[in-house]
Amino acid sequence: MQHKPLIQINHLTKKFGDNLVLNDISETINQGDVIVVIGASGGGKSTFLRSLNLLNRPTRGEIFFEGTNLVDLSEKQLDNVREKMGMVFQSFNLFPNMTVLENIKLAPLKVKTVTDEEATKTAKELLEQVGLGEKADAYPASLSGGQQQRVAIARALAMHPDVMLFDEPTSALDPEMVGEVLKVMQDLAKTGMTMVVVTHEMGFARSVADQVWFMDGGKILEKGTPEQLFEHPKEARTQDFLSKILAQ
Amino acid sequence: MTHLKRWLVALFAVFAAVVTLNMQSVHADDSLVKIQQKGTIVMGTSPDYAPYEFLVNKHGKNQVVGMDVEVARKIAKDLGVKLVIKQMNFSSLLVALQSGKVDMVLAAMSPTNARRKSIDFSNTYYKSGQDIIINKTDAKIYKDRQSFANKKVGVQNGSLQETLAKTQMKSSTTLGLTKVTDLILALKTHKVAGVVAEGAVAQAYTSNDDSLVEIPGHFNLSSDTMGTAIGFAKGSDSLVAAANKSLAEIKQKKLIPQYLKTAGSYMKTNTEDTSMLHYWTYFLKGVEYTLLISAIGAFFGVLLGTIFALLRLSKHRLPHLIGVAYIEFVRGTPLMIQVMFVYFGIGIFIDIPALVAGLIAVSLNSAAYVAEIIRSGIDSIPVGQTEAARSLGLSERQTMTSVVLPQAIKNIWPALGNEFISLIKESSIVSIIGVTDLIYQLTVVQTATYKGVQPILVAMVLYFVLTFGLSKLLGHFERKMNHAA
Repeated sequence: MQHKPLIQINHLTKKFGDNLVLNDISETINQGDVIVVIGASGGGKSTFLRSLNLLNRPTRGEIFFEGTNLVDLSEKQLDNVREKMGMVFQSFNLFPNMTVLENIKLAPLKVKTVTDEEATKTAKELLEQVGLGEKADAYPASLSGGQQQRVAIARALAMHPDVMLFDEPTSALDPEMVGEVLKVMQDLAKTGMTMVVVTHEMGFARSVADQVWFMDGGKILEKGTPEQLFEHPKEARTQDFLSKILAQ
Repeated sequence: MTHLKRWLVALFAVFAAVVTLNMQSVHADDSLVKIQQKGTIVMGTSPDYAPYEFLVNKHGKNQVVGMDVEVARKIAKDLGVKLVIKQMNFSSLLVALQSGKVDMVLAAMSPTNARRKSIDFSNTYYKSGQDIIINKTDAKIYKDRQSFANKKVGVQNGSLQETLAKTQMKSSTTLGLTKVTDLILALKTHKVAGVVAEGAVAQAYTSNDDSLVEIPGHFNLSSDTMGTAIGFAKGSDSLVAAANKSLAEIKQKKLIPQYLKTAGSYMKTNTEDTSMLHYWTYFLKGVEYTLLISAIGAFFGVLLGTIFALLRLSKHRLPHLIGVAYIEFVRGTPLMIQVMFVYFGIGIFIDIPALVAGLIAVSLNSAAYVAEIIRSGIDSIPVGQTEAARSLGLSERQTMTSVVLPQAIKNIWPALGNEFISLIKESSIVSIIGVTDLIYQLTVVQTATYKGVQPILVAMVLYFVLTFGLSKLLGHFERKMNHAA
């Protein structure tokens, strides 16, 4: 169970015009893994993450998810895959015209065959899980950034995904709110959820990650356990990046 | 853009081909047989020209009456068919004949040489001098047409009087308006010094309004312009012959004076009570039609507008081009032209009633404007909203209907409201093809009461009540939406 591959990436390449953003990446993500992707801005981290559920279509390469090559699928077929890959964005992207509860219930009701009752029950449980049980009927605009991001996590979890993708989930938050979001993610990791997290939170990477990947120039330049990567980085670029980050 | 051009060329080619075909079919003269087969003869007229044709309120319903109507009734009776009367602007009558909307035109029309080029005429059935209506206070200044040097005179657009004024009152300038009622109004407010009108019309106005008098025009009338004849589509010889037979009988039995008397008695009932309150049913009907056209226009405008907005936003080339072409073309042509095109142009293929034509034109026009509003609304929604929805497994369509459109509509609500309000006002254009909206009814009341300004005031207040009410209603919904979020 622990080492069964969930996502298999083969020769993933993405170009925006002449700009090579992802350069022939081949990696495996196993079930239950928590992978933290770090690296300087512009290194292709977000593009890499967004390629996994094909929000960005690769220029070349394959992405196998649960045995299916996503690149071969039509947009319609992809809808069925995406519901199993939860995604959390830097800017939360809650639907401002819906209450917290409606935000969470929308996809289960539209995509899955659940009753309103079941959807409401699940949504309320998830809100308790992220510590926002009393905010069910609030609108996103009345919540703090940290609260909005926790709702966004609950919204993604409502589809019972097999993997959760986090795209810099704390970068848009005021510093005092970062902790509450990381706590939710940490709890989630403990449940055995497979997670791919793009972040600059080195503390989180150190304590939660099974593997840390350092991305640079469109490649996964170096990877390893937190200890290997943070204590004994092999590549000069990794050392350079870490020294800059830790000096802050 | 070359695609667009090719489409347009193809469209015009088809249109031209059909028009040509249609004209050829007219040449085979089955005009009389056709009328007898369908059992009705349709008369086109512009009922703002008492005593020839005007409107009376009979049992709460508008009815076209007048000398021309009596003549038409006689012809219909002789042919053994039913008479149907279609109302429209005088300047639309020739097109209506050519496009087959009407079978004959009786509108105090003189058989001028210019008109003979496009339609056929019966023999003349009435001859009346051309006079000039002036304000009573000016009676000492103006004696005949020569005394209007360097003055402005009013004439009906496209009428014989316009030609007469332009050729025989060369030292005067002319003001051309569509309706006689507006001309009288211009006269009374001293915008013009006099109004050139048929003798019988001048008689009708001056006898109903003490502040006006008529003076003889002493126009030099060549034989073909003197008098009034019935217009028919080109090539309908058999129908013209049948009409001439009836006209001969009218002449022989001296029925015209009798018809004029009938018309006169109708005019009296009209002027018995000229208070605006007495005509409230007219205005009510106008409001009903204006609301009907606006509501249906708004409904289909939003429906079709959404479709065209989505076409324009499509990633595929062909739908995108169709969306762009439609929106740009409709926004680039006046609503008035579109109304006439739908009624007369499409009317060549299928006979659609004026109201339906008006509804179609207004809806299609509104769709183009609404499409642009909706497009801007969709563009205003951050791409993150779409990404969030898609990452949850919502399909492209579900994302649009559940996430993007609801937010877009909230953002564009004020702009949509503006569009609906201008729809109420702009729908008044349909009055040119005879749809009885508020503007049309305004003219009807002006004609019936010989009062110019009061009906305008009433219509203005009614329009304001409609638009202000709508604006309040839209504001209520806007607050409701803002309450959420």
